[in-house]
Amino acid sequence: MQRKNHKITIQDYLDFKQLVSFYKGNHKENRLFALKKKESSKNMVLLWLDEHRFRISEPLNSDIFSIYSSSINNILSFISLLFGLIVGLGLLSYSGNEPVNIIYYLFFAILLPIISMLFTLFSLFVKWNISEFFKMLFPYHWLEKLLSKMGTNRKIEFLDAVLSKSIQKHLFIERLQRFSLLFSLGIFLALLFVVVTQDIAFSWSTTLQIKPETFYGFLEFIATPWRYIFPSFMPSLELVELSQHYRLGVKLESSIIENAHILGSWWQYLAINTLFYALILRFVLWIVSYRILMKKIKEEFFDLYEVRKLLREFKTPFIETKAPKKEKHLEIRQEHKRQVKRIEPKKVEKVEIAIEPIVVEPIKEIIEEPKEELTIDEVEEEIIPEVIAEQYHSIIGWNFSDDEILLVNDFKQFRAIFINSVGGNHSFDEDEEVASRAKDRVLLYVKSWEPPTMDFVDFLEELIDNSRVEEIELLPLGLSENNYITTEKDFSIWNRKIEGLKARKVWVIDEK
Amino acid sequence: MKNSYEYPKFAVVGHPNKGKSSIVSSLSLDNSIQIGDTPGTTQIKRGFPLKVDGKVIYELFDTPGFQRGRRVLSWLNKQEKVPADKRHEVVRKFIAEHKGNPKFIDEIELLEPIVNGAGIIYVVDASKPYGVEYETEMEILRWCGQPSMAILNLIGQEDYREQWKNALGHYFRLVRTFNPMTMTFDEHISLLESMSHLKEEWRENIKIAINSLEEEQSRKIDLTVDTIVDNITKTLSFVYKYPIKGKTVSKSEEESAKKIYRNKIISYENKQKRAIEEIWNHKGIDKLEDDLLLDEVGLFSQESASIFGLSEKELIITGASAGAITGAGVDLLFAGSTFFTASIIGGIIGGVGAKFGFNNLYEIEILRGKTIGKRELAIGPMKNLNFPYILLGRSLYHASTISKRSHALRDSLELVNSDDFFMDKLIDSTSRKELEEIHVQLRKGKELKDESLIKYKSVILEAFKKLIK
Repeated sequence: MQRKNHKITIQDYLDFKQLVSFYKGNHKENRLFALKKKESSKNMVLLWLDEHRFRISEPLNSDIFSIYSSSINNILSFISLLFGLIVGLGLLSYSGNEPVNIIYYLFFAILLPIISMLFTLFSLFVKWNISEFFKMLFPYHWLEKLLSKMGTNRKIEFLDAVLSKSIQKHLFIERLQRFSLLFSLGIFLALLFVVVTQDIAFSWSTTLQIKPETFYGFLEFIATPWRYIFPSFMPSLELVELSQHYRLGVKLESSIIENAHILGSWWQYLAINTLFYALILRFVLWIVSYRILMKKIKEEFFDLYEVRKLLREFKTPFIETKAPKKEKHLEIRQEHKRQVKRIEPKKVEKVEIAIEPIVVEPIKEIIEEPKEELTIDEVEEEIIPEVIAEQYHSIIGWNFSDDEILLVNDFKQFRAIFINSVGGNHSFDEDEEVASRAKDRVLLYVKSWEPPTMDFVDFLEELIDNSRVEEIELLPLGLSENNYITTEKDFSIWNRKIEGLKARKVWVIDEK
Repeated sequence: MKNSYEYPKFAVVGHPNKGKSSIVSSLSLDNSIQIGDTPGTTQIKRGFPLKVDGKVIYELFDTPGFQRGRRVLSWLNKQEKVPADKRHEVVRKFIAEHKGNPKFIDEIELLEPIVNGAGIIYVVDASKPYGVEYETEMEILRWCGQPSMAILNLIGQEDYREQWKNALGHYFRLVRTFNPMTMTFDEHISLLESMSHLKEEWRENIKIAINSLEEEQSRKIDLTVDTIVDNITKTLSFVYKYPIKGKTVSKSEEESAKKIYRNKIISYENKQKRAIEEIWNHKGIDKLEDDLLLDEVGLFSQESASIFGLSEKELIITGASAGAITGAGVDLLFAGSTFFTASIIGGIIGGVGAKFGFNNLYEIEILRGKTIGKRELAIGPMKNLNFPYILLGRSLYHASTISKRSHALRDSLELVNSDDFFMDKLIDSTSRKELEEIHVQLRKGKELKDESLIKYKSVILEAFKKLIK
């Protein structure tokens, strides 16, 4: 649905709050919506509301509000107009015995509306709590309270929680202007009706010692806004003098009776004052209060957390970074399974060990049988180097340089007939030659921090396939700075890999 | 294969287990990528397109590590000699000939996006020494002839960056240090900027990506602050009404009402935490919360108050200013004819009240109200002066930890180490006065004016920005 009127109403405010209490959309949906519509932010929020309003399954708060609003408006409009008519007729009631005192009329039709308009202006621009007090001065406040207590309008109470106090205040002020306007219209219509249907003689009468000249000045002051446009509607000083009436005379003064036809001309002055002050000014104030109400609704609407969030989602590009392809979970690949079969040793000699390929600890094994007179420390210092020396046929370093291997050997006191480096920038032919030349026990150094690659596995397979090699001991070395001590994590990576190969010739040496 | 719309692509490649997936995870803000200690966690290449409004701006490829690099290089070297501009054709030929060969499955997965035009991001662990075996991989990548850069990822404690830089400088135009585990937003942007320098044609797209990410970051920050403010205003003005049976309130009824009141506030805080985790794309994150500090019970604990709340001195000052604010209202009502006596008296009362109420977190005003036909007890709004700061402190700490957390991390989020959290460093006394003005209004159950709320948010926004720097 395309909106033509983009004004934000109380109904929009209420429905939006009702909708976002359970549906907000998400950034992606909302951004795509904004890109499709290409409207201003304000319109976009309303269009979004229109598009999703159908999701509200409960009765719309806006409908409840509209029903309440129209019923209270109709009832109070009728009452105001009727009250205005009654007041007007009452003020202008004329029996023919006494002229109608225009001061009463001026009070109700001009002064009272001016005072009420001043209060309204004051309420518009002061804080809520002060205006709360002022609103109690208006009969409309009590009428509305009375009506809201009646059964049919009770459900409106919950809207108090939804609408902010500020909106409630401006809503009250706007309605007040509407009903005051109707009240004044009632008085004005009563004036016209009485003037048409009766012959009224107007006068002015007051207990105060006011000279006709002073009263004339007052009337002139009241007429300031219009007397230059309609000078003929302004009573003359002579008429003011003629119209002064004293009750004590009991009977009407002869001058009044003589000039009765002139005294009727006051109605023009009263009518134009009513029109200007009670109707035109009130109408202007009504429009102003309505605009302020709309502005307030708009401000509060756009200050709603959910509106701000929605606007941000409209404006901010939606970023997606997820992979469309589903991740393949870690598992042993077919290739590895086939390899396991292929590298199965042809001759099974150490069945018990083969079933459970455990980590061998050569140093421990040697220490298990020390000479009786030696302490463990002495074993480490004296016996181990002698026992271990030249125990390997080959020491091979995977991705190590020859110098690095020699350093390790020196540090660990390992000896071998052949010492070779493989991997790195060696060719496959060189590696194959090293693998084929090896026999008996082979010690294989690997960098513990570098995980085993298939390149390494290929070389290891060659060693395993070499039937002259009886045992391959794999030693993951840590950094030289750390005395080649490997971390638990790195060791377990290598251990797992070798276990996975299920090669019975290969052992991972745990130095700890 | 050529697409009608060519966007930059980057293949993150390297030796197995050097943090390629972590880098992709952190750059794509995706914590669902499998990252493991076991080499070979990544078995197939996966593209992570960065889409802005549905349009792909660039794509990152997470790839398996090199497994048989030497064999690939050996094959390449055995081919007929070709000029440098045709070398990538030889790599393409390798892929074509070996596709389906299980021996080269990893190499094909990682080389495929490169020969299809992806830039190379070569990842090494610079906390381990350089080794010649890496030269094979770098040589293969050189054969591909694509723009490339190297990332020095410091996985461990040691630092061998100098060694690596000397070697990588021979193969890559750019070498950058980047730790995906501790990556900040600025580092993320800086890395993207580096990537944009790889090829001129890619700059525009990367610029769009950077702008979008910056906008997104700003949206997330605003949203986080809004969420925190929303929770604070809701919590501080919350009033719980509890129906009572008799004419007076029994002890059990009072305790029961207090419990419900506290639980409601806790549920507000939990809701806020979930919302913030969702904003920062860490939904469903595992958390290790210190029993006494950040869990549900902790909100009302003394430990929480001492870490996140105000010190006794600060609290007295704040109490005095809160009292003065109330007093100022009275002075204003009398148009200053009271010569600010009300402000002074209010300040003294507030300060003294705050001093004696410092340790009393449970002081909750109980109003005994009466409505037609029933009696009820009302708890709230929260009167404790320190509570808003405890709530704010906890919220800021949680939100900043979540927002800074890298998506590469897979361990549980530890919300315990908060010794360096000082409220006074985050919010100075002037800003605290601004906050207190709002707290006073909320305690009175007043509706906040727009400008007050904007001011309140800006103070919290500044504090949050300080924390996530």
